[in-house]
This record gives sequence, structure tokens and C-alpha cells, in this order.
Amino acid sequence: VVDFARLWFYPFSAGFKLKFIFILRLKESSMSLLDAKRNRAYRIKGLEGPTDECRRLLDLGLTPGEEMAIVQSVPFGDPLVVVVRGMRLALRRSEAAWIRVE
Amino acid sequence: VKSSPVKITNASPETVSPLAPVATEPAAQQLTVCLAGVPNAGKTALMNGITGGSFYTANYPGATVTLSRGKSRAEFGPQITLVDLPGIHSTAATTADEKLSCDVIEGRNPSIIPDAIIIVVDATQLERHLKFASYVAKQGKPFVIALTMVDLLAQSGQSINTTKLGAALGATVIAVDGRTGWGIDELITELRRVAAEPGNNQDALAVIDDDPVKAYPEIERLLEQSGSLRRGRAMQLAADTFTSRLDSIVLHRWFGFPIFFLILGTIFASIFWAARPFMDLIDWGFKQLGQLSLQVLPDSVISHFIAEGVLGGVGSVAVFFPQIIILFFLMTLLEDSGYLSRGAALVDKPLSHLGLHGRSFVPMLSGYACAIPAVLASRTIPSKRERLMTIWILPLMSCSARLPVYALLLAALLPGAAGKAGLALATIYLASLFAGALTAGLISRFVMRKQTTSMLAMELPLYRRPLLKPALRITWSRASAYLKRAGTPIIIISSILWLLSNFGFGSRQPDLPEGTRPALVTSSDLDHSFAAQLGQTMEPALHPMGVDWRVGVGLISAFAAREVFVSTMAIVFHVAGDEDSQQEGLLENMRTATFPNSEQRVFTTSSIVGLIIFFFISLQCLSTVAVVRSETGSWRFAALQLLFYTGIGYAVSAATVQVLRLCGVS
Repeated sequence: VVDFARLWFYPFSAGFKLKFIFILRLKESSMSLLDAKRNRAYRIKGLEGPTDECRRLLDLGLTPGEEMAIVQSVPFGDPLVVVVRGMRLALRRSEAAWIRVE
Repeated sequence: VKSSPVKITNASPETVSPLAPVATEPAAQQLTVCLAGVPNAGKTALMNGITGGSFYTANYPGATVTLSRGKSRAEFGPQITLVDLPGIHSTAATTADEKLSCDVIEGRNPSIIPDAIIIVVDATQLERHLKFASYVAKQGKPFVIALTMVDLLAQSGQSINTTKLGAALGATVIAVDGRTGWGIDELITELRRVAAEPGNNQDALAVIDDDPVKAYPEIERLLEQSGSLRRGRAMQLAADTFTSRLDSIVLHRWFGFPIFFLILGTIFASIFWAARPFMDLIDWGFKQLGQLSLQVLPDSVISHFIAEGVLGGVGSVAVFFPQIIILFFLMTLLEDSGYLSRGAALVDKPLSHLGLHGRSFVPMLSGYACAIPAVLASRTIPSKRERLMTIWILPLMSCSARLPVYALLLAALLPGAAGKAGLALATIYLASLFAGALTAGLISRFVMRKQTTSMLAMELPLYRRPLLKPALRITWSRASAYLKRAGTPIIIISSILWLLSNFGFGSRQPDLPEGTRPALVTSSDLDHSFAAQLGQTMEPALHPMGVDWRVGVGLISAFAAREVFVSTMAIVFHVAGDEDSQQEGLLENMRTATFPNSEQRVFTTSSIVGLIIFFFISLQCLSTVAVVRSETGSWRFAALQLLFYTGIGYAVSAATVQVLRLCGVS
């Protein structure tokens, strides 16, 4: 969501102030769990994905408002090991992509 | 999009469970109790604790995936029938297992009508498990909540007051440990009390919303009331526990796979080396038993049938029993410790590329011992497509029944070079893994395309030290179930094959002096048996493989179990003598065997390589076919698999022989 390479050029561009604010807003708003950093807590905003599969994730306790964190890197970077509701969960990257966090 | 709200059955407890007689004739009433819970809640351990391990089940590595029934132990008072229901991930039942559980809990299954339900709840994951408990509470059945994994809670310095929790939930909560039996008598007492006075379902649990988004905050509120809610940031919960430290090693970016392969290698090695003396002992025992029965029983066709057909058949199953026990025991230990799901998470990425699932690795590993427990182990794979894919490639895994065959053929191919033969054997084992991967990859690309999204979303349970006694108990119940399951078809098939190879039209007994009768299985008999006639009929088909009808008889008999090939070869190549000299004599006779009416040798480099390839690919195990049929519920799938592998095995083997001959290898 945040393009750091382009961020360097913004101070030199005309609409610097405006764009910078916009980027900050993007940073504040939700992002996919895939873009989340390791060992940092995020709050779940919602799920965007196939209905049945998302229902399963909800049943597992990945409900909006709950805190979760990626805690472990695994060979190949897939699956992600996350902690939510005190439970360790292995999530494929494709499943993590449905989870919007902030 | 199918969204199935959980249906609440309006049946009152009186109509669902005939509890009225309890008051009038209390002794006659036997309670039927179901264990229900989320997977990994500790149901199987509790079932073991209550029944003392003596329950009938078709339950294999992984988790509880079929119904198992048992009776409570005598020390817990009047007998209770227990039914262990498959674990339910989501009440919007997606798999057949979940649907069955939901049907029973909702009272829609006519064959199992529980009088009460034990809801097994993991104390370390109250919220999620109580969400499931609320679903059960809504169905109007009397229930007791069994709180498991309390020891893990104590490890992290937490505790739950079960009385307070029970008061907040409006239900009976009993802390138990199925592995040590702690708390079970209290659970049973409460169970009887609850079952005797049904109808009290206006509790806090039953009014929790179905929608998880609303349900979880309500559960949190209830837990808050009881003082059992562990509040804390996700990070604090994750940080610096034993589990997270161990995970950072076994799931390490670089060390994860070496550790995984080390553990796999250890299991593999113990299957082969630790089991060897026991296997020899069992083999010897059955041979002695066969000879004994020949001596004791009056000499007749029946006695030979019992000694060679039945006992031989039982022996060919029993000989793999040590391997199966070791495999199941190590798997149970790994499962109990929590590593099994880490292993599945590690290999999920590469396996999902092949259209398989992370959990496929357990069946694939089991397949190196025997395909039958492997097929049964694949039940734990959640999506149907991935389960079928796994079952499809399992016959390629080099099962231990192939080992004696490879040993014989490699000894014939590389006489006197044990080192080279060992290397060739290792190559065969590795190649079988690659062949499986290739087949899975090709099929998932071209035949069974992805239709539904498969999910991993797998819980990684906290590590804990496995206890020896419960593990042994579970191992035994799994292994004996295997014996029943695999034994029946093997005995039937080997009996049929025995009849085929001992009877035939125009059978000719050599003239012998009065009173001496030849052993029934003489080669002259075999020459005229149905099996031999079948072999001679298919001789033209065997020519491309470079072998004659005698090998064909061996190939047919190998359908009972692959290792039978070796003993059949000994019979058709006229080898007499005891076990030790037999191998040498057989090799010698195989070396000099020629086609009838010609000088051409039967066993040449090319034909032996062809045979090895045939055994490598083809599904020469009718017991596997029978188990695949019962697991997939489809004769078509099982028959297709049989034809596919045997056909391809034949084609590749024949092609290899012809190409080798063209290249000048005899």
C-alpha cells in the first residue's frame, strides 16, 4: 500500500503536502495481513474473501476487533504462523490475504 | 453461496431421548453419551480415559475421524455407551464427518440418539470452544462440559475456577485429564445427574448468537463474569512461551526442514531396523504353526488349505504388524506432542503445488510401511479433492511388501554386489517419492482441476510431553483396528489364490507308492492349476516384458500381497529345501531358467529391470483396492486406480525391456 520508493520523490514534487497526507491515511486504514510486519500486533478490521471460507475463519475466532500477530516465519514464507485468541494458527498466504487488519 | 444457519430442532428432550423410564426402572436404562468438540480438544484422550482404551473404532493417525463406540469402565458404575463424534471445525458443516456430528447433536440421526452430550472444551482456548458449546447447548440435549488441557493452563500460570465458570455459563463444568483419568469419575457422576433431569436449557450458553461476529463478544462477557478471560495483547500471549521458543527452532527458515527430515528419517529407520527381528520372529512362528497344523490335522485338502492358504494369508498380514505398531506409536507420540501439525505446516507449500495438502505427508510416510493404514490416515485431509489425490498416489509409495521382491530381483540382477544392490534399493525408494509427486502434479494439472478453494487454517496446538501409557493404548486400538480391516480381505484373497494355484482341470498327481502322498503344492501340480492355465493364457502378453508364464503365475499370486511373489517363484522354479537354502537355490534356478524349447534365458538384465519397474508402478495389492473402495465409497475410483497403475506399470515395463534390448542389453 505504501510505496516507499516513490515516497522519496514526494518532497520534491508539487503536490507534496497533499499526497503525503493521502499516504498517511492509507497507512492508517486497513491493509491485508500479508503486508503486516512480523511480531507486531494488528487489529482485525474484517474479512474479504469467499463466503464459506471466511465463515470458517470467523468460526476460528478471527472476528473484527480482535488482535492478532504474525509470530513466525516458516521456510518458503508460507504458511504464516499467527497468534489470535491465544491460539497459534497456520494460515496459507492466500487465506491471510482475505484478512484486513489495521 | 450456501449459508446454512444452524437449525434448532424443536424436539423436546422427552421425545428425543426416552428418559421417562429412568424413574420407573433405573437399572434397565443404559445411557448413551456422545463426546463432541472442536478438533484437538482432547476427545480421543478422554474417550480412552473413560473406556480404558477398549473401544471399537476405525480410527487412524491424525484425529478422530470416524465414530468410535465404547463402554465405560466398570469402576465408573453402571455401564454407559460412549460415542466419540468427529471433531467439528465449523457448525456450517462442510465435510461428511462434520455433517454426521451435527446430525447426531441435532437429533437427526436415527441410529445414534444420545441421552446426554459431553462437550469437550480446551481450557487454553475457551472462547472458540465455548462457541461450539453454545451450538450444542441450543439443541436441547442435557450436557456436561469437560474442561481439558488444564495442565497446560497451569504451565503458563493461569487457572480457571470451574464452579465460577459453570455458574456464568449456566452449565456443569468439570476439569478432567483423559490421559491420567483425573476428574473422570466426577464427570460421570455429573453426567448421570444431568441426564436424569433434562430440560434445563435456558442457560447463558444457549442464548449466544450463531453469528460468530456477535457470539465472540458475548462469550468474552461471560468469561469476564467468571474471571476466566485472559485479557492480554496478542503479542504478550505469543511472547516467550515454551511453545513459541520451540516453534522458532522447528519452523526455522533454515533449520525447519533439516529437523523435519531428521524426524522423518528416524521414523523411517525404526520402521525398518527396529521391526526386523520381530518380523522374522512372526514369520518363523507362522511357518512353524503351518507345519504343526499339517502334522496334527489329518492329511487332507482341508489341512493344506488351513496351513498354506489361511495361515499363510494371516502370516502375510501379521508379518507387517511390528512395523505398523512402531509407525502408529511414533505417529501417536508426534501427534500428542504437537509436532505433527508443524510438519504439516512445513510441507504444505510444496505439497499444495502438487494439488495435495500439508496433512498429506502423514499418509505418504505411512505408505512406506503399508498402503492400507496410509489410505485410512488420509481421512484427516479436509478437502475431498486433496484426499482423493493423496489416496491416488499412495500405491506408488514403496511399501514394505515390495522389499522382499526387490531384494530377490536385485540379488539376481547384481549377483555378489550387495553394496550396489543397496544403492539401487535406496534409489528405488527415492524414485517412488518423485514418481508420486510427478503423478500428483500431472493429475492436478490435467485431470482433477481445482474446483473449490482448499484451506489450511490449521491450529498449531501447544507443545506438551506425550505420556507413554495413553500413547500405547491408542497405538494398540489403532493397530488392532488395522489388523481387522486389512486382515479380512488379505485372508479372503489369499485363500482364493491358494485354491487357484492348487486346483485345476486335468490335474496330475505323480504316481507314488501307497501311503506316501506328495505335498499338495508341487510344481507338477502347479503346472496344471488354474493359476498356471491363466499364466499360460496370458503368456503372449508377458513376452513384451521378456518373461515366461511361470513369472506370470508369480505376478498373479502377488495380487494377494506382493511378497507372495517370492514364495511362488520358489514353487514354480522347483526349489526345495528349507528357508535358508531356498534363496540360494532359487537364485541359481532363476539364473539357469530358459524359455521352453529354446536356449534363451528368462532372467536377463533387461527382463529383471522390467520386473522391478513393474513392481514399482503397478498396484499389485487387492487389499489396498478393497480399502480404497471402502474409504472413497466408489468402486469406480478403486477400479480405475487398479487399472491405471497396473496398465501403466505393464506398459512402462514392456517399453523399458524393448528399449534395453534394442540398445543391446540382453
